[in-house]
Amino acid sequence: MNKTLEQKSTRYLMIWLPVVLLLGSLLFFVMLNMHSHHTQEKQLALKQQNVWNAFIAQPAAMTMQIQGEYVIQKNYLLPAQILDEPRDTSLLIEGSSEKLNFKALTKAYHFNNENYQLTTFVSSKEFFHLTIKVFATEAFVFLLLLISIVVINRRSSRLLWRPFHRTLKKTSGYDVVNNPVAQLEQQTGIAEFDQLNAELTSMIAKVNTAYNNQKNFVENASHEMQTPLAIIRSKLDLLINEPSLTEKSASLLGDITEANDRLSQMNKSLLLLAKIDNNQFPEQEKINISALVERILTTYQEHYDDFPSLSKSIVSGIYIMANPALTEILFSNLIKNAVVHNVSQGFIKVCLSDSTFSIENSGDAITEKPEMLFERFRKGNKESKTTGLGLSLVRQIAQLYKMGLQYNYKNGVHYVLIDFGRM
Amino acid sequence: MKLLIIEDEDSLLRSITDYFTQEDFLCETASTYKEGIQKATDFQYDCIILDVNLPGGSGLALLEYLRKHKKADGVIIISARDSLGDKIAGLDLGADDYLTKPFHLSELYSRVKALLRRKYASSSSVIEFDKLKLDLLLKTVSYSGQPLLLTKNEYELLLFLLTNKNRVVSKQAIAEHIYGEQTDNLASFDFVYSHIKNLKRKLKEKGGDDLLQTVYGLGYKLSV
Repeated sequence: MNKTLEQKSTRYLMIWLPVVLLLGSLLFFVMLNMHSHHTQEKQLALKQQNVWNAFIAQPAAMTMQIQGEYVIQKNYLLPAQILDEPRDTSLLIEGSSEKLNFKALTKAYHFNNENYQLTTFVSSKEFFHLTIKVFATEAFVFLLLLISIVVINRRSSRLLWRPFHRTLKKTSGYDVVNNPVAQLEQQTGIAEFDQLNAELTSMIAKVNTAYNNQKNFVENASHEMQTPLAIIRSKLDLLINEPSLTEKSASLLGDITEANDRLSQMNKSLLLLAKIDNNQFPEQEKINISALVERILTTYQEHYDDFPSLSKSIVSGIYIMANPALTEILFSNLIKNAVVHNVSQGFIKVCLSDSTFSIENSGDAITEKPEMLFERFRKGNKESKTTGLGLSLVRQIAQLYKMGLQYNYKNGVHYVLIDFGRM
Repeated sequence: MKLLIIEDEDSLLRSITDYFTQEDFLCETASTYKEGIQKATDFQYDCIILDVNLPGGSGLALLEYLRKHKKADGVIIISARDSLGDKIAGLDLGADDYLTKPFHLSELYSRVKALLRRKYASSSSVIEFDKLKLDLLLKTVSYSGQPLLLTKNEYELLLFLLTNKNRVVSKQAIAEHIYGEQTDNLASFDFVYSHIKNLKRKLKEKGGDDLLQTVYGLGYKLSV
């Protein structure tokens, strides 16, 4: 599953930002703790100094012990290794039911030929509480930061990518055949998108030029080929009337004539295809296709002596808006196809209703894939002496008028359906 | 009969001239717009065969000029452009017929003959060849006085061969003449063959044994 840019960037943020923030919080907590201990120790040392100074100024007036503050002990010797280092301890304070945590610092002094030990206390509780409160505040700020970064990122990327989405929408509407114009903005306010649009615009222009060149090339080439083909044909017409013609040269001439004719037919069909591509049949009129189909059928019945047995159900008075020449080619190609690719003693079934035209005929199975049958130069049967362009003309015309085209083969019956695309 | 052929492609021009000269037409040629206009205005022709793309101007303009100056010569346009619009434009300007390149000389000849028949309608509407008689108005055919019952296609075929009598007409030309030029109907040779077979049989029944000849599988010829 592909995600949108916005979803992607949000996802990355949601994965990495909390990790970074968590690591940040951890570091913050460690630093905070360190600083708070440092402050506590400084305070202890200061208190030690102040109390001792007060004591040596007036030794008699000084209270020897204030619980939770200090204790001055004479000759009382704690082991030397715990002196001068702050340590954790807990004391039972009056008026409190449980012991409280304190930091204590004991130092040894010599005063008036007597040894003293002074221990000062600083409560740990307040420091601990402060640390917790600061940390909680920090966590809250980080959470706020996370949310606002994600939201701002989404908002800003939506805003930033807006020209890109407009470009996307316009280019998806582009089609070299039906909609060759894509007007992309030249000034989006973002250099990269300006560049993208400029590149796309020039690419589209190139595609259009190439497509038009190709279309024109086919048309021009076909046109130019008409004259040499006409010359060859006229010379052949003269040649077959030469009295000196022998059977051998006649057979050569026959082959040339046949090849030349095939070339002429192909050329004509290609020219027609190119003209449809180039939209050279703009004029449309209301055509009575019921009458048209009947007329084509009658003509073919007259033309072909072994016309297959015909059954038809043609609703009269069906009209479509189209070019008369193309409509005639569409229906006569389909009908002729059904006649030419039939089997002896075969049948043709023609149905015309308000919205569809269908033609069924008996015939041999095709060797080509059904969907390839409407491609240029594709033939259902390799040996058949057709140009392979008849059905691509049908498809081209159907496409031009947005008609549906379906083909089916089942049990020796070919079936073609044209859907006029009416709602 | 006098014919003016205006065509810039020299090779094609020679082919057409050759073909019509053999049929005892008096052929004049022109290969540019200017030359065409000069000849067409200076002389009177029974028929003008006119190419559309000419150096110096369009054949259609030439036609327009002729009609403006009340020249009533029959005109057949030959053109590499086969769109319906071009055809209609040509016929609207007063052309009598329109033929798309590439065409068969036999087809062009039959168009010219048809044009001349229409133009000089006063002359007999019956074409005779040997003992064969074809009535263009009644569309009936008889051989030594005995009527031949032909289908529409067989009639068209016979008329085409009769017009091009004593000449080999290729089966491709016949197919195009009968089935039209637009469709890719190379399969229609089989149908031409069956029409010819039927026609031969019908002629044979009335005693016209060798009238319709097959020439090396290339085409057919009506000759005595």
